[in-house]
Amino acid sequence: MTLTPTLRGLFAASVAVASLSGAAKAAQPCIGASWELTGALAHTGLQIRYAVEVAIDEINAAGGVLGEQLVLRAYDDQGEPARAVDNALRIGEQDECVVMLGGFRTPNAIALREPLDEMGLPWVGVISAGTRVIEHETGENEWMFRVSMKDRWVAPFLVEQAVARAPSGRIGLFYEATGWGQGAVPDVVAAAEAQGVELVAQETFNIADTDMTAQLIRLRDAGAEALVFYGVDREADAILRSMERIDYRPTIVSAWGIGGQLGNTAGALSEGVLVAGTFSWWGELEPRAQAVLDAMKERFNLAGPQDLLLPSGTANAYDAVHIIARALEIAGEFDREKLRDAFYEVRHEGIVAVFDPAFERTMERHDAITPDAYRLFAFHNGVMLPLDQTPFGTN
Amino acid sequence: MEANLQYVLSGLSIGGVYAMVALGFSMMWSVAKAANFTHGDVFMLGGVLTVSLMALGLPIWIAAILAILIAAAAGALIERFLVRPFNREANAIGWMLTTIAIGVMMESFGTATYGPLPQPLPSPLAVTPLRFGGAGVFPQELLLPVVAVLAMLGLRLFQTRTHFGRAIRAVAANRVAAGLMGIDADRVTMVVFAAAGGLGALAGFLIAPVIQASTTMGLVIGLKAFMIAIIAGITNAAGVVTMALAFGVVERLIEGYLSTSARDAFGFTLMILVLLAFPQGVFGRKEVSKV
Repeated sequence: MTLTPTLRGLFAASVAVASLSGAAKAAQPCIGASWELTGALAHTGLQIRYAVEVAIDEINAAGGVLGEQLVLRAYDDQGEPARAVDNALRIGEQDECVVMLGGFRTPNAIALREPLDEMGLPWVGVISAGTRVIEHETGENEWMFRVSMKDRWVAPFLVEQAVARAPSGRIGLFYEATGWGQGAVPDVVAAAEAQGVELVAQETFNIADTDMTAQLIRLRDAGAEALVFYGVDREADAILRSMERIDYRPTIVSAWGIGGQLGNTAGALSEGVLVAGTFSWWGELEPRAQAVLDAMKERFNLAGPQDLLLPSGTANAYDAVHIIARALEIAGEFDREKLRDAFYEVRHEGIVAVFDPAFERTMERHDAITPDAYRLFAFHNGVMLPLDQTPFGTN
Repeated sequence: MEANLQYVLSGLSIGGVYAMVALGFSMMWSVAKAANFTHGDVFMLGGVLTVSLMALGLPIWIAAILAILIAAAAGALIERFLVRPFNREANAIGWMLTTIAIGVMMESFGTATYGPLPQPLPSPLAVTPLRFGGAGVFPQELLLPVVAVLAMLGLRLFQTRTHFGRAIRAVAANRVAAGLMGIDADRVTMVVFAAAGGLGALAGFLIAPVIQASTTMGLVIGLKAFMIAIIAGITNAAGVVTMALAFGVVERLIEGYLSTSARDAFGFTLMILVLLAFPQGVFGRKEVSKV
């Protein structure tokens, strides 16, 4: 198509105006967030918020970033992807925040890929571990980063741990029928193949299911001695009760959807359930982590680690905010593109890991936490503890 | 064999929950030709209120009785203020909107105050399962179908042996005629809604030790129980209980022989097919009215 000189002039002028308006639209020193703050998993948003607010307090008390005080703009998405998109648009276009934090659910994060691209808004996930959140099918990911686990990296870890606990090496896969659970299947299958392990059965369950005996009977009949599990506390509780009904006790090696609440509801049945994660607030902590825990206890009136139901997610969120602050200092101004580029330069010693650098310019390494920081935790006496503080082995 | 036994036991357990909630729908529909769509949330109150009252230091039985009484009062209030004013005219459907709306509000309020997380409701009957070979069931779960059948039989006896019970049958048969005979149909209806609320809360209390007490525990159960009541023939209490128990077992068999993901698809398809074959419900009778 050829344009007349007049149309070419109009097009050039409109592009120039658009560019000028974009350049004049400096981002604000605010961190936006879309979390579940109401609904069935409202605690997940709260668990992230504890750490984010404490981290922002620390940064602001030390003078803020580039002379500005950081503020948090958190919106409720009720776990629904459509609301997460609405929130992202509000954060990017109305609040003009320089960066956005993600929440618990992988489908919500995946729904944000296009809006974030269109707005050029950096996003940092702190829990949602779906591989496709960061590794897009298009092969391009400019704006989405994560300070959390990644299912593609978690899967080999879980398979390895499950096989080590299955005397015959026969393991099964049991996962929730959601974007997160189903998205993990190819990763687990690939990890099992890579390790020369046979997945003797794969079973699913629906959210809010209360009886899993049918699936467990099939897993039992297939001879699975350990189960790689993708699900959350409520359904894990139902599974433990169903296992008790049919007297079938495979070792459960779970992705980190299971949090501390399982110990509260399942009690003794939770004994020995293993959960992958990045951090535990129990036991003896490094001084900095102890200070963070003390600050969260004071600010939010928490009794202690028992109130941190997503221990790894809370710790990840704390480190993520500090990585953002470091990157803003490197960027030198509240500019989203410069912030994104600065992420690749950040070096930071966090409570979860040493980030050196936090991110690299490959899609795979838009994940800051690498597998060497992954840990296994175990339920013991109703509490999720680091493995070496339990009778169930060492990391 | 063991697997089939397990599916039957598990099916009777969940079927017992469906039965108690569906029986409430049947009772309400019989007298009001309307239903309380908050009934799933009233079921939830049985578990959630018991846990909340126990947290205040009350013993479990006192907490449970109070929870059931509160749920019964809620049923009465819902009838008085959310159903009756919107059910004055023939074919009125305003009660659907009001009861659905208040149900959403109840769940939101519950989540805001009780919290989003399920909480345990300890029961000695939900600790050690009874095992039959490789199959097993918690004694707590066996209570549910038993209580459902007893509730249905008790309702039948009450309706045939007591003055107030006969008044319920009269209102169910012909509200206007019952009124002309001196029966206060509005009062009868309110009492039936209260009884249905109490029965729903009792079901919530009985199942909570197995599935945990949460503000969302009534969502799907309320919906399925209503559908079960429809395909059974909503005014036939015995039919509703029978259908609910059968549906629970069928669900578990579908899970066992097909898959969990097929459960609802096949279950709801089955409901539609049954309704096509029996428009008045399997145990329902065609209603004839003089015009």
